[in-house]
Amino acid sequence: MKKFVGLFLVLAVLMVIPAVDLAFAAGDEPGEYLDRRVVIWNLFYRLMTVGFTVGAVVSGTMIWQCWRFRESHPQAKPTPYEGTDW
Amino acid sequence: MGGHSNWPEWIYIGVIVAIMVWVGAEAWDAERLVEHVPEDAETIIVTGQQWFWTFEYEDGTKTIGDLYVEVGKAYKLEIVSKDVNHSFNIHDYVVLMDAIPGRVNTVWFAPTEVGTYDIQCREFCGLIHYNMRGTLIVEEAST
Repeated sequence: MKKFVGLFLVLAVLMVIPAVDLAFAAGDEPGEYLDRRVVIWNLFYRLMTVGFTVGAVVSGTMIWQCWRFRESHPQAKPTPYEGTDW
Repeated sequence: MGGHSNWPEWIYIGVIVAIMVWVGAEAWDAERLVEHVPEDAETIIVTGQQWFWTFEYEDGTKTIGDLYVEVGKAYKLEIVSKDVNHSFNIHDYVVLMDAIPGRVNTVWFAPTEVGTYDIQCREFCGLIHYNMRGTLIVEEAST
């Protein structure tokens, strides 16, 4: 049963992606005058801001976890896996 | 696993999915904006070949190496190649499109300032690729 679910999921994705692609593809309607430099560089700066912010949060969380849950942290507690024989 | 809560993971997944959707929507919107050619754009056929660019205007005239346009007008560039893959790039106007044999790739732009700008091939296309350059010459509007 699981195999069929997986198969249908793969097939669904294969069907959905081209459909979405078609739906969102650029049509034939005429565009407006714009400065592509502004559009493209704005997109670049916004995505860079998002990228660096997410990167800082994720790496900051990992650094904090390493610092907080190290063995030598004053508040560190042994887990059942490590035993209590300290 | 008593007392364990996985809500932080679900929040994390939600935030990541939201950011990815937002990034995709922004990129799609920018792509939609820059891909739709204005109705009154003049078509210029840009042909790349080892190792120079040829420009053919709507009135049939051709220039080699120098692309002449007028400020404030929109131009649709139909980019083709006669031999190998090239890539047509006007760095100052963020125009970049591959020239592929057997294909017509289009890109449009509207120059905003009078002046001369560099054109450069951005796809390694052989021995003299480095010197497959051109010049974009933006002139005052004629009308």
